[in-house]
Amino acid sequence: MQMIRPWASEYDEYRRDESRSTGEAESISFPTCEDELRSILSELDPATPITVQGARTGLAGGAVPHGGHVVSLVRMNAYKGLRQAADGAFFLRVGPGVVLSELRRHLHAKSLPAHGWDDASRAALEALYAGPEQFFPTDPTETSACLGGMAACNASGARSYRYGPMRPHVSGLRVVLPNGETLALRRGDVCAQGRALELATEQGTTMRVDLPTYVMPRAKNASGYFIADDMDAVDLFIGSDGTLGIITELELALMPAPRVTWGVNCFFEDEGHALDFVVRARPALDCASAFEYFDGAALDILRTTREDGAAFASLPEVPDAYRACVFVELECDGETQAMEALRELGSLLEEVGGSERDTWVARTDVDRERQRLFRHAVPECVNILIDRRRRVTPSITKLGSDMSVPDERLHDVVDLYRRTLAEAGLESAAWGHIGNNHLHVNILPRDEADFAAGKDLFRAWACEVTAMGGAVSAEHGVGKIKRDFLLTMYGEAHVDEMARLKAAFDPTGRLNRGNLFDEARLDAAVGEPDGIEEAAR
Amino acid sequence: MNIVVCVKAVLGSTEVKMDPKTHTIIRDGGEAVINPFDAVALEVALRIKDERRSAGEACTVTVLSMGIPVTEKLLRDCIARGADAGLLLSDRAFAGADTLATTYALSCGIARLGVPDLVLCGKMAVDGDTAQIGPELAGALGIPCAVGVTGLPAVTDGTVTVRRESDAGVATVDVPLPAVLTVAKDVAELRMASIAGILAAEDAEISVLSAEAAGADAARIGLAGSPTQVVRSFVPEGDARGVEITGDAAAQAEQVVEVMRGMAL
Amino acid sequence: MSGLLIDVEKCIGCARCVRACGNAGIEVEGPWGARKARATDGCILCGACVDACPVDALSIERGGTSGPQDLDEYRDYWVFAQVDEAGRPLDVALELVGKARSLADGRGCRVVALLAEGAPGTGAADLESALPPRESVDGPSGNAALLISVGADEVIRCRDARFSTFDAEVHAEWICSLVRERRPEALLYGATVFGRELAPAVAVRLQTGLTADCTMLEVDPETGLLQQTRPAFGGNLMATIVCPAHRPQMATVRPGVFAAPEPDGARVGTVSDVPLDDRLAPRVRLLGVERSSAADSITDADVLVVVGRGIGSKKNLGIARDLADALGGKLGCTRPIVEAGWCDPWRQVGQTGVSVAPRLLISLGVSGAIQHLAGMSGAQAVIAVNEDPDAPIFASAQYKVVGDCVKVAEELLARL
Repeated sequence: MQMIRPWASEYDEYRRDESRSTGEAESISFPTCEDELRSILSELDPATPITVQGARTGLAGGAVPHGGHVVSLVRMNAYKGLRQAADGAFFLRVGPGVVLSELRRHLHAKSLPAHGWDDASRAALEALYAGPEQFFPTDPTETSACLGGMAACNASGARSYRYGPMRPHVSGLRVVLPNGETLALRRGDVCAQGRALELATEQGTTMRVDLPTYVMPRAKNASGYFIADDMDAVDLFIGSDGTLGIITELELALMPAPRVTWGVNCFFEDEGHALDFVVRARPALDCASAFEYFDGAALDILRTTREDGAAFASLPEVPDAYRACVFVELECDGETQAMEALRELGSLLEEVGGSERDTWVARTDVDRERQRLFRHAVPECVNILIDRRRRVTPSITKLGSDMSVPDERLHDVVDLYRRTLAEAGLESAAWGHIGNNHLHVNILPRDEADFAAGKDLFRAWACEVTAMGGAVSAEHGVGKIKRDFLLTMYGEAHVDEMARLKAAFDPTGRLNRGNLFDEARLDAAVGEPDGIEEAAR
Repeated sequence: MNIVVCVKAVLGSTEVKMDPKTHTIIRDGGEAVINPFDAVALEVALRIKDERRSAGEACTVTVLSMGIPVTEKLLRDCIARGADAGLLLSDRAFAGADTLATTYALSCGIARLGVPDLVLCGKMAVDGDTAQIGPELAGALGIPCAVGVTGLPAVTDGTVTVRRESDAGVATVDVPLPAVLTVAKDVAELRMASIAGILAAEDAEISVLSAEAAGADAARIGLAGSPTQVVRSFVPEGDARGVEITGDAAAQAEQVVEVMRGMAL
Repeated sequence: MSGLLIDVEKCIGCARCVRACGNAGIEVEGPWGARKARATDGCILCGACVDACPVDALSIERGGTSGPQDLDEYRDYWVFAQVDEAGRPLDVALELVGKARSLADGRGCRVVALLAEGAPGTGAADLESALPPRESVDGPSGNAALLISVGADEVIRCRDARFSTFDAEVHAEWICSLVRERRPEALLYGATVFGRELAPAVAVRLQTGLTADCTMLEVDPETGLLQQTRPAFGGNLMATIVCPAHRPQMATVRPGVFAAPEPDGARVGTVSDVPLDDRLAPRVRLLGVERSSAADSITDADVLVVVGRGIGSKKNLGIARDLADALGGKLGCTRPIVEAGWCDPWRQVGQTGVSVAPRLLISLGVSGAIQHLAGMSGAQAVIAVNEDPDAPIFASAQYKVVGDCVKVAEELLARL
């Protein structure tokens, strides 16, 4: 069967992702295993650009095609094996097309598809099922994301406050390079010496690359390559927006699921109280796994939509006096500890001018589901609002920011947002991962002038946030739509270093063109490949 | 005004599944929850309480359950959400009760609480699905009843006005107090507990009564007091071995049309 | 004494009982190799473990539950023949008279129908003029004649304005006085809203058993007991229930389960007119009824097209609706569809929605949550379309179509 299929209208959905931007391509393939992928690479003309896709849930356009060929990895969705380390930890090998919600379901229901597994994996599986429930902690809002895509953009979610992004939970990768050679990387096996990294492909080629020289911010960050002295080679590929190679297998580090998970919505009459609460609660609440924020405008939109439609009618009513909400998730070993945490949380609230009464505590599945609906309803309601406005002004879209700052700058960055939004006279709603000082400020343009003003504001914020030591993209990645912010954050010289690093792995610059760098910058880097020395076999 | 809400612990509905291959019920990991219909009844009671209290009247809501000892935790959760007190009838002797024996046990519990003005129940339990406890309880207490209440009741001066399901449509009725109401879904969603509520509930006293302490006649409770007996449970024949219709969508549709022709619709 | 008996000689400590129990009511303990089951305080004697035990080590012992009554004095099958607002017997009343006929024939006893006739909006004075004549030259007339023609040997009729508001207490007291006087062995009600309110009111007054929402009734040839079978856990499991020591044996029966017999005008039967106790008065006051329009109900549909999450998007609902229209049926849905705001709540089939009993149910993209299956177990034929061959819905379907439900629906539509 012909694996490379010429483009046809039935593939049109593969022209776009959740960023709502679209691209073009001439052909598409759906390999089911690494060998198929490699033969596709060898069949394609070496000059053909390749865009790699997973579930296309990304918000930065990373999976939007840029001419040439599209490789969709959705069918590389096998569960390949399991091992248990000496310390009892479990590591699950999966294909990049495995969908997060499916993984969660299988782990919870103890129903991992284990056909074809070897005896060692089967023995590990028995041990997995016999012990306490295990889970994979990375929790992006969109659970239809696939693991390969999540690794490519170093996804995070609400619980990244406790567990960090995807990165630390990936213990190994298999990667196919644009030339068809393969890397098998296990965390701890290959590390850089300072900023020099030496890698050997399974085919025997040794590569030496110089890593860029920048220092990453001390904030949640998904902007450009992860670079650090003596870094692990695995980390270079995680969060690389698919620019260095194609991930064909991941080994995921599983963790014991928390015994007790309680969610608490804390409401405040004043945004300042909410921020004070977060600042005080972070060091005080050891078992907090997430701090999420919803501002007054977001609550207003929720109230309006709740009255309008049946879909959100089951949401609890949010009294008008509430002008800010912080959702705290507590993960505890038992109910005694959870109750302690609840008491602590209560006194923190009273200290900052909140009240133990103005809270919703979810201790049952039904209540947790209502809280989940509440959190998901906010962005949903904003989308509904924007869709209505687009009927009048089709050219506008929602403008959502994704910037983070270090802990001590939380009040400063919110002040910045409030002051500049007011000056520009723009309507907005903000929510997001306040535990990581990472808010999605959404500008809700009423017309094209608002839309343009919003874009200007985002550019200004990128400068200010960088000055605060923050990151321009904290979780969505840079993809194709935040390249300018990357320049603002790191400057031309460092971005050129990144482009040269890419050229070392992808000498013709064909893989995921348009991600991280514009074409001119990439082609310039490809022309002067000084970052690599290819040793003889 | 004194309101009693009867609640039952059921297994978390999301956890009750049937294994499609073995046809056994999978209950692993099922966490006990308040029967969802009873949760609505509790919310209705709490709304009435809010209304009465804001009108300057005294009003208390007591949750009553017959169940195993751990049910106490669910009653405490009800208090965290706004109920004032809880009474749990818990005794091995209550086990195996059908609706008649359950009704008797609950009526003994209500007798301990003094005469309530209003008894609220969920219309039915999601595990048993009999919808019999409410009307049987009304009969046992000798008070009138309205089943399938679909809207918030209005309490005025010794009468409660409700909209309720009937075979002809939604009926509006006046019921003199004291009365039993059974509450349909969708009337209101049970409010969530606040931290303040949960902390207060931790210290609340929940009475746990044995059959004897509840003054129940041993011959009328549990298995012994249940006229009905389950003699057999079985997997229905035939359904599981359904005919598989194969082919592409067009071929499948063709065959389905044939099947429907055979039914002479 | 009653309780869960564990035969420790037979018990092999396999813990299947522990997994079957939803209440931690049984545990397995002891040293390896000699582990045995033990009941805990959580046991509610539900019997789930008894069914799960592979070596029959578990049983539930019942203490002396013999009722105080002399069971042999109870004879005849009775049916409460509920009338509608216009005063005509409901279909389910005729279905039950027909079913009672065959059960009573097996028992060699009579079928008696209870007919409470009031007329809405009329007082006691003009009741007779509002109702059809009691007799004609050929014998009984009106509703009584109809009930006789489908199988009743006797109709006990009471005409009283106090029946006109469908007050369960008034009806219950009337029925109880008749039962105490005439002693039927069984009494059946339609599982209508009113039937399910009235039957428990009678059961508690008579202190007898009642089985809700039955779909099968049989007489045990050995004991003569009425075996009442009802769906549990969404129809995946059926439970057969008996009432050995109390009379009458009572059940509410789901409408549409049994066929109503063709009326036979040649059948003969008697009508006994009885009065209603003067002291009885309805305590519940009926202020009004909002007639639900037939358009806003899916419970009476002959054909139902039910959509679940697998339909994919709201725009695909149109295809399902067109399909329902083409089949002269109605559109139903699952809970997630209502929650998504794609359909009104009255279309929801399931435990928290409505129960349906169509002749044909076409299920599109429904995975088959147990709560949903509970609401559709009355369907006579189910054709299920789902992409997932392991979807639980298929266990409840006579026809299993594994495929894209939208494509299959479109293809079906093209052929109708």
